[in-house]
Amino acid sequence: MNRTALVGLCAITLSAFATLAQAETIRIANHGQAGINAMKSTVARIEKKYGITVEVVEYPSPDKDYMTKLLTELGAGNAPDIFSAPTTAYVADMVAAGYLAPIGAEFKAWDGYANFYDVAKQLAVSPDGETYVMPFMLGIQEIYFRRDVLDKAGISTEQPKDWADLLARAAEIKEKTGAYGLLFPAGVSWGTGAFDEGFQHLLVGSKTPQLATDDGKLDLTGEGVKDVFGVYKELIDKDLMPTQPLLGPEPWVIPKYQMFPEGKLAATTCGSWCYIFDWGRESKNPIPDVEKVVGTWTIPGQTGGQYVLANLAAPWGVNAKAENLELAKKVLMEIGSVETQVSYAVQIGNIPASKAAAQDPEFQKLTELVPIHAAAENGVYLKQAAGFATVAEGVARATEALLRKETDAAGAQQILVDYAREILGEEAVK
Amino acid sequence: MVRSTYEKRVARQLLLILSPSLLLLLAFVIYPAVYSVYLSFTNEALTGAAALNPRFVGLRNYSRLLHDAKFWNSLLVTFLFVVGSAIIGQFVLGLISAILLRRDLAFKQLFSSIILLPNAAPEVVAGFMWISMLAGGENATLSRIVMFFGMTPTDWLQTFPLTMIIVVNTWRGIATAMILLTAGLSTIPSEVYEAARMDGANPSQIFRRITLPLMMPTILLYMLISAVSTIAVFGLVYALTRGGPGGATEVISIYIYNQSFTAFQLGYGAAVAVVALVISLILGIAYVRAMKVQV
Repeated sequence: MNRTALVGLCAITLSAFATLAQAETIRIANHGQAGINAMKSTVARIEKKYGITVEVVEYPSPDKDYMTKLLTELGAGNAPDIFSAPTTAYVADMVAAGYLAPIGAEFKAWDGYANFYDVAKQLAVSPDGETYVMPFMLGIQEIYFRRDVLDKAGISTEQPKDWADLLARAAEIKEKTGAYGLLFPAGVSWGTGAFDEGFQHLLVGSKTPQLATDDGKLDLTGEGVKDVFGVYKELIDKDLMPTQPLLGPEPWVIPKYQMFPEGKLAATTCGSWCYIFDWGRESKNPIPDVEKVVGTWTIPGQTGGQYVLANLAAPWGVNAKAENLELAKKVLMEIGSVETQVSYAVQIGNIPASKAAAQDPEFQKLTELVPIHAAAENGVYLKQAAGFATVAEGVARATEALLRKETDAAGAQQILVDYAREILGEEAVK
Repeated sequence: MVRSTYEKRVARQLLLILSPSLLLLLAFVIYPAVYSVYLSFTNEALTGAAALNPRFVGLRNYSRLLHDAKFWNSLLVTFLFVVGSAIIGQFVLGLISAILLRRDLAFKQLFSSIILLPNAAPEVVAGFMWISMLAGGENATLSRIVMFFGMTPTDWLQTFPLTMIIVVNTWRGIATAMILLTAGLSTIPSEVYEAARMDGANPSQIFRRITLPLMMPTILLYMLISAVSTIAVFGLVYALTRGGPGGATEVISIYIYNQSFTAFQLGYGAAVAVVALVISLILGIAYVRAMKVQV
């Protein structure tokens, strides 16, 4: 009897130890092979430094599918301890849902904080004034143009002064070369890209450059919103941008990976990664001598000026329900290290949010990214508000209606406003 | 008294035997359905403030449905999809296949295997396979075929999206229709046909006066299964078009998914799901009544 009791006691003790050991496992959500590869050395470093196990949970790769699975798990209370959001647009809503733990105090006390670009720090601040995400990478978009195509046709490659100049240039390209003159991502299939990779870049240079009001509401009725849709409308109606491929399930494939390398599309918005992954050394369909053949313009303002709009790329946060919050926050700071930022820059082509990356020898090798990293000093940003993910979907729907020539600029704006009101309620939209 | 005790014992045993199935049904069918009905009266969401503090909103989601043009569009698309692929496409081709396979055809087994093959591929795999056939550009299979005949190729999923998903779903469902209808055909005694032929009936008359009326219970059963399962088709359409372009193929299952997991509005998505459930129930009851079967 005593022997049985002793065996039972041992089993309970072992089980208790096993449970304790499990508590020292930190689960990190990651998606896309490049992201998982980028995190490998960081994971090893964290495990060594804190003597814990880091379990990387692989999620579906497309952003929409990733968010669906992640939000479902967060809602159910069984999500990993640390995860990223694809863009800034999701963060305010995740904060409002109570999914993210505040990290402001730890982030500011961390020795890496001072090196972050101001734009990154500000983008990480939520509408309630608290910081919930580590703004470790920046997404910076520009207009990439085929210098060789324009030179051959005798078209200016100078930075366009304003929207009118940009549209005139696109029309000139179409007229003289037959190629499409300019592409801004649009339509529902492109997901948040219609907003993140196009719409908001024009919006910051418009007459009403912000969507979030001081009282945390969304103002979608501004003149600038309508004017941005007007740019899309003109590009589509004058056949300056390819529309048919944008209505398919993978709208970026034909324009960016076929038409642009073939010179059938002469200019498109794209992120810093495009020089490396879309048309450069890591591309399946590279453009020879890409840095010479493909030039960049910053996105001009409506009536002048140039805007380097920065967005957070995959900002990381800590699950508010993480078993060991303190440990998870420490791990998050490791993820924010320059080493991890550079690893992500190598694997994905985004821009490190820390100025210190400029001194990193590995980052210096990424010659395509170094000037864009420096330009982040002058980065501008959209103030965040709850409902931005809905706005992104509304922009996708509005631009799809434009692609299908079912509406005009004012109608597209109305689609956006109606969708936001329908989803977020009247009280959230001015 | 003895009989009564025996009956009670049998009843208890039956309950015991059925209880695992009942529990499974309760856990995985009844509870989710009831929970969906509950959700449809709330503003539950996957993100935003409503995820933290969902509120009871009464009939607001249902009232919103009435004014939601996209919901009505999804109902229309679903109706056309069900009629086109399940009622017309699968049924007609399944019946032709079933009738042909009753005859002594050369390569009969090869023919049956070809018809059954679509069911061997998972929905999403089949969807991607069809994408490669229907894509735009000159390299897609269908474009090559039409170019061979001197016609202009197009991006079929963009130009004729609804027609294309109807074709693909028809392709996928012929086998089920054929199996069910073959079973129905085999129940008709051959003597009836012989008698008809002796009376001078031609093939058309035999089909209209004998085959169709005697197969009616099987046809109605097939229609019930096919209509309800086609309303629920998701993977194939999602892989092919994701409901696009511009909602042209947004069948109700895709609409529910988009509302619940793209717009993250679980409450509203649940309301749409409840409406879909009611439509399926009405269809089911209508068919069962038509079959005059006691259920």
